[in-house]
Amino acid sequence: MISLQLNDAVIKSLSRHELNILRYVYEHSDAVQSISIQEFSARVSYSSATVLRFCRKLGYSGFAEFKYALRSAQREAGQAAEASGTQAGSPDFRIDLLSSNIQATATLIQEEQLNQTFHFLNGQGPIYIWSPGGITDITAEYLEKLLFSIGRQDVYKIEPARLFEHLIRGMRSDALIVLISASGSFGTTVRLAKLAQMNGIPILSITPYTSNEIADLATVSFRFFTDQRENLGAEYTSRLPIFFIIRTIIQCYLDYKAAADQEGGAHDPSV
Amino acid sequence: MIPLFEYARTQDLTPTEKEILAYFEARPAAASCMNLQELSKALYTSGATIVRFCQKLGLSGYNDFKYQIRRELKEARQTVFVAEDEIRRSVARFKDNITSLDQQTMERIAGLLTSKRPLYIYGGGLSSLPARYLQVVLNTLDFPSILVEWSRLLPGLVGTVSQDAVLFLLSVHGDTRYLPALQLAKERGLTLILVTANSQSPLLPYCTISVLTNDTEQDYHGIDIASRIGFFTVIQILIELAAGKRGE
Repeated sequence: MISLQLNDAVIKSLSRHELNILRYVYEHSDAVQSISIQEFSARVSYSSATVLRFCRKLGYSGFAEFKYALRSAQREAGQAAEASGTQAGSPDFRIDLLSSNIQATATLIQEEQLNQTFHFLNGQGPIYIWSPGGITDITAEYLEKLLFSIGRQDVYKIEPARLFEHLIRGMRSDALIVLISASGSFGTTVRLAKLAQMNGIPILSITPYTSNEIADLATVSFRFFTDQRENLGAEYTSRLPIFFIIRTIIQCYLDYKAAADQEGGAHDPSV
Repeated sequence: MIPLFEYARTQDLTPTEKEILAYFEARPAAASCMNLQELSKALYTSGATIVRFCQKLGLSGYNDFKYQIRRELKEARQTVFVAEDEIRRSVARFKDNITSLDQQTMERIAGLLTSKRPLYIYGGGLSSLPARYLQVVLNTLDFPSILVEWSRLLPGLVGTVSQDAVLFLLSVHGDTRYLPALQLAKERGLTLILVTANSQSPLLPYCTISVLTNDTEQDYHGIDIASRIGFFTVIQILIELAAGKRGE
């Protein structure tokens, strides 16, 4: 698997079908590079016009250029081809998948999103982190603890959904709501996102790369790649990409602050 | 002084434009991370005025201006925040960590986690989060385990658990405060697994298996904020291996 330079705006512009194509490309990047557009559209069961539209939305002139970009991205990624010898479903394969999910997630983090996030972290408004229950709680707590540790005040992790709804109704407009979802479709989280939007409260979301309502409603939306999994109704989708995003936000914020502090608000024009 | 500002000074600027220039000269790195809305708010001018100022300098717009400043700051070897560099660094750290892990060791640990022997998982402070993550997911996979978050509980626990118990310890610093508990555990012949980022940890001789990650020690005003991404990665790999064993 390789990664293309995609940003949130591009992903948002993709239709459900086009996201399916993107998913196929990510899962079969080796094969895609050597086939024609006719062959490709047969494999993904979409017309070649849809495939072309998909390529254009990603910023390429056509399928040929898209393949070329895939190849050069793969060359850069280097070891991506190593994975090909392993069997799907084997532990080796899953570890490779885990690693490529993180790398692809990293390419989705854009500087503009980070700058918007810093704006909220620098601000004085309260930050409310929604803790939806289950494994995602741990990611919410990770964010909460790291924000505490770097000295951000007014960070609240809220567990009861009704309390959160109540809070949103009376929230200041400079507040920020953080919604994390491993599926992007958890009903309660979607409802909170809608409620927040109705009340004009900005949302920072961390959701999967697939089209989802939470990300659509968010002011700042971070996306990640993961594979949904469950054991007889109890899901255990990997949260590693979420931890990775949270950590990257905090680390970037510290670096950004270090650069800004160095100037120390000095008003000496000879800086 | 960066060339773009020097060039700007030679131009015929209006008083407002001079203010914009002064603002950037005072804090180039921070200002070049702001977007147009924030900047126009901070300067009490319209976005159009700022864009006109940028165009006067021969640039296409504000974004162009921003990137030009950052490029020139970088050339002047000043610390500037470049998100791409930082993201690239975190991916590199992640990859280093994953390649340094020994597959056989990981398989052995996964075997112990899924062996149905009594399993106690401990992590304190920020490490309690990877510990909890492992415990919750193992339970989801039908491998029961017990989470211990209080370090003071450890010595008592180690003294009373059955001898076939497995103790899984997460500690970035791997420091001496766990020494008494680990000594006792070794005397009693318990199986001890340690995940740490400290290759010099005094706890290592007492462990049955140890895993080393590359989470660098880091603190912010004295508070530990070492990454733990290495820890989470180790945990996720163990989860993948454990999930594979469920089918066996």
